[in-house]
Parts: sequence; structure tokens; C-alpha cells
Amino acid sequence: MTLPDLASQILYGRIGWAIVAATVACALWRGAAPISRGMLAAIMAGSLATMALPGNLSPAWYLGLAFQYPSGLLVGCCLLRLTERWNGVRRSRAMQQSLAGVLAVAGMLLYLDALGVLTSGYYYAGFGGVLTPFVAVAAAGACALAIVQGHARGTAAAILGAVVLFSVLRLPSGNLWDALLDPLLFGWALVALLAGALRRAGRRASDRIGAIDVDVDADPVSGPALQPLAAEHFSSLKEQVGGQ
Amino acid sequence: METPAITRPRRHHAILLGCVLLVVLVMASEALRWRSAPAAAAAAVPSVSTTKPGRVTLIELSHAHIPAPQGMPSAHASTLAALPGDRMLAFWWAGSRESGPDVKVFASTWANGAWSAPTMVVSRDTLGAELGFGVRRVGNPVAWADRAGQIHLYVVATGLGGWAAARIAHLVSQDQGKRFHVRRILPTSPLFNTSALVRTAPLTLDDGGWWLPVYFEIGNKYPMLMAFDANGNPTTLARIGSSTSALQPAIVAVSKNEVRAVMRDDSEQQLVQHAASHDGGATWQDLPALDLPNYSTSVAAIRLSSGQFLMLHNHVEGGASSRSILRLSISDDMRTWRTIADIAKGPAGDEFSYPSMQQVGNELHVTYTWQRQAIAHHRYRIQPEGTT
Repeated sequence: MTLPDLASQILYGRIGWAIVAATVACALWRGAAPISRGMLAAIMAGSLATMALPGNLSPAWYLGLAFQYPSGLLVGCCLLRLTERWNGVRRSRAMQQSLAGVLAVAGMLLYLDALGVLTSGYYYAGFGGVLTPFVAVAAAGACALAIVQGHARGTAAAILGAVVLFSVLRLPSGNLWDALLDPLLFGWALVALLAGALRRAGRRASDRIGAIDVDVDADPVSGPALQPLAAEHFSSLKEQVGGQ
Repeated sequence: METPAITRPRRHHAILLGCVLLVVLVMASEALRWRSAPAAAAAAVPSVSTTKPGRVTLIELSHAHIPAPQGMPSAHASTLAALPGDRMLAFWWAGSRESGPDVKVFASTWANGAWSAPTMVVSRDTLGAELGFGVRRVGNPVAWADRAGQIHLYVVATGLGGWAAARIAHLVSQDQGKRFHVRRILPTSPLFNTSALVRTAPLTLDDGGWWLPVYFEIGNKYPMLMAFDANGNPTTLARIGSSTSALQPAIVAVSKNEVRAVMRDDSEQQLVQHAASHDGGATWQDLPALDLPNYSTSVAAIRLSSGQFLMLHNHVEGGASSRSILRLSISDDMRTWRTIADIAKGPAGDEFSYPSMQQVGNELHVTYTWQRQAIAHHRYRIQPEGTT
């Protein structure tokens, strides 16, 4: 078990919370709507400046009181979202469904164990001297490969950043799982999964409506084999795209 | 038209180089730690020294209250740390009420047969100022004097919420307890690092390190053990057994391999809970509860230099309430206990709780919460059975 020193934790906490707060401020203020680069820079600078305030004048004082430090991956995902905004990307890929799924399952196991429901000691393993370095190196290698090959570059970069921060400085806590997950990120993952499920359900429902419309219009003697093709052509999604 | 064609490979090469450098950085960092790990990770076992084997009797020498800080009507959760030269340090918290914003941790030194005036060592303000984030309240202290003469103080510090939202602050003093500086908040839980507390005394290891008993208490309550090396750096964290209703483990070494934990009970069983390790603390098994009542109150246990074991626990009988009798019991094997004395006893509703004890030379020192108003101190002479 190697733990970070307090000074580096304090610095990390201030910067990390500034990035998270700027991301949340942008989301609350504009939703997914575009923000000018100047405004984005001003929000980030303002967030950093307020976090740097001394003692209880700083929001980091209260954020630390409640949540201690954000995970490296939460900070990475927030940085990714801010970068997307900087580049004018509206549809965020900062929390992809695959990442959200992994975080949700890992979080569920980790938190059930921490609450004493399971007795596997998953959290303690995150301090380990054998498995933890191996997992960190393997994760860094896998993320680097994904970045080079162009697969989910943003997500891979966020994970790689969290792993580098952990391996070099052992931030935020000395535990690998604290670098890759925290309850706020877990909540984000659950919301992303829920939103994804609702989107898929909505799409299926609209596809079904499209299919029913086609059925009504179709010749009753035409074979069912034609229906999937018709349903695809008349899906609401395609209509919207066509409408633009 | 040629520019993008040239830029793209360059960008790709830059990304490739950056990724390779980061992976090498991760590998090098982990490899460096790996190289330095074997010496530090050598499994330490509990230190068991029996200087005068045999049965003992205890003779009370004195009892009094430790001097209380001015204007602090509430006091609770004392702990003792032995210093060289038959001296001791006592720590406890005092304030207007439990969880009050004015609660602070105080210390007093036992030397030459008397306690010094109490001095404030930690408050939520001093802790917050060093940590860089807020602390709502401070609570249970636990202290340990290492071989180099540093005093390690572990203090419960809550975040957003009650005691279940507590974290453990680790402070160190280089000057025999006059001034303490925060080393860190101990990482104990993935849930915003909350709900870990300390209460019971550490156990010394043969490499100069120690085990700090810790417990978790959001919903389920379970005991844990954090090991430290001789420099006071944490080495491992592990759960004790699989109980979800035992807390505040008091750890005692029976031998280098066998270690036992007696614990406060939060279940309807209302008996002192019990767990054992037969591999020097690496793994733990829950054992049947001891035949001693426990209505959710803290216990203290030590191994005397004679090899016998002492436990302080709240007994319940007749019309007594959960904390109105504080009993001292003795055992040869940590299984069968016999009563030595009720060191404090009062009518139902009285409180004599949260005991702590320490052997210093041939004396046994006991402290406990007296009616939530003061910290009582009893002193006993430990003498071989049959001698006068």
C-alpha cells in the first residue's frame, strides 16, 4: 500500500473539483447547447479561481467535506466533455454505453462489498502490491492501443489519464478503484445507461408505430416478408433525417 | 491539398509516441514500487512477550478523574498510549455535548504519579485547515507511540452526515504529544471514504509496526484491521470475519499466530462478539459470542506481561442499564472469563463506558467515561498471585 502525500491530494482536489464544477456549470447553464470558446474558458478560469480560494471560501472545502476527492476517471470524463464543448460537439461521447455498463457493474460489486453485503474485500484489493500494478499496466496498455487504433479515443484517454495519475502519484487515495470510480461517476454511469435505455425504447416504439402505419397502408395480400423492409424505410428516425 | 496528407501521419506518430511514453511511465512507476515492496511487505506478526508468566492479582492503588478542560461539561471516549519512562498519554474528546461544533480532542500526560493539565490537540477547525476541506465534528481518538518516539493519533472526523459519515484522520507528533500535524485521511472505503471509525487500542507487531482496529457503520457494522509499518505508513487493510453486526474490535495476540478480537455487539444477541485468526491476522473466522452480555457498548482488552488477558466490559444484571456497570474480567485463554471486580457501578441510567487500559511497568491503568462528564482513571498494582 503506497499512499499519496496530503499536499498533492489537496492540489489534486482543487484542480479536480474545478474541472468537475465547470462541467456541471456548463451542463446546467446550457444543457447540450453550444457554448462559445470564450465563455467556456471564462467558466473554467472562474471555477479554478474559486476553488483556489482559501479555507471555507472555496467550494472545494465543502466538496471535500462531502465527497473528499473525485476519481481520476470522473475528472477525465469531465475534461473530455469540456473538450467536446470546446470543439462544438453536441452529442457527447464522454460516457459511452460500454463504459457506463462496466462502471455500473463494477460499482455495484464494489459498493455492495463496502456496505458489508458481500465479504470479498474488493476495495482492499485496490491497494494490493501484486494485482493492482498488473491491472494498472494492463489498463494503460489497452487504452494506449485503443487510442492508437482510433477506438473510443476519448474514453480511452480518460481512463489512461486516471491510470497514469494513479501509477505516478497514487492519486487520489492510493487505491486503484478510487482512481477509476467514485459514487458520482457511478451515478453518471447509471443515468447514462437509463438515458440510453429510454432512447432505445423510444426508437423501438417509433419503429413499431412506423410498422403499424405501413401495415395499415399495405395491401393485405402482400407477404409479411416485406414488413421489416417497410418498417425500416418509414422509421421516425429516417423521417427526421429526411426532414432536415 | 498536400497539407492534410502530411499532417495526418505526423499527428498519428505524435499520438503513438505519447501513448508509448505514458505506458512506459506507468510501467516504470509500478516497477520501481515493486522493487521496493518486498522489504516493506514482509508479513509482520503480533509481538508477544511474556516476561513474568503466571497468574496475577490486582490491587487498586488510586482512582481519580483526569483534570477536565475549563467550560467543557461533556467528556467521552478516552484512550491511553504508553510512553518511555513509565509515562502515559491520555486522549479524549470534550465539549458542550457529543457531536457539538465545539468538541475538541484533549491530551494529558501521566508522569511522576500525576496528570498534567489538559491541552487541546485537535479541533474541527485545526483539522480542516490542514486537510484543505471541512470537517463537521471530531470524535473518538486512538493513540500509539512508535519505537522512534513519534506519537500517532487517529481521530474520527465526520464529513456530511453523522458518525456513519466519519473518516479517520492520522496525525503525528514529533515532540511527545505537544503538537500534532495531519499526515493524511486514511483511505478505508470507496463510498466517498466515509463510515470508518476507530475506538480501540492498536496492537504492536514484531517489526515495530502496529495494527489499528477500525470499523464500518453505515447500515451493516463490521470490523476491520489496518496494518502500519514501523514508520507509520499503512501496509494493508482487511475485514475481520464476515459479521455485519460487530464493531469496535479490541485485538489481543494469544501467540504469534493466534489473534483474537472481542467486539461490541449491535445485534439482538447482546453478547460480546468474538473472532479469531490462526495465521497471524491474515484471515479471520467469526466465533460463537462470549457468554458475556453486551448491550452495544465498547470493550477493551489487553494481554498482560504475565500472559493472562484482561477485558473491561459493561455487565448487565438485575436492574442495571446497558452502561451502569463496568466490569474487569480476567482469562487465561480468551475463552473463559472470571470477574475480578466491578470497577464502577451505579443505578440504572448511570454511565461508565468506553474503557481503555494500559500496562505500564507493574501497574495497570484504566480510564473510562464517567457519566459523560469526565474521564475517570484507576490505577492497580499487578502482582504475582500469592505474593503480598
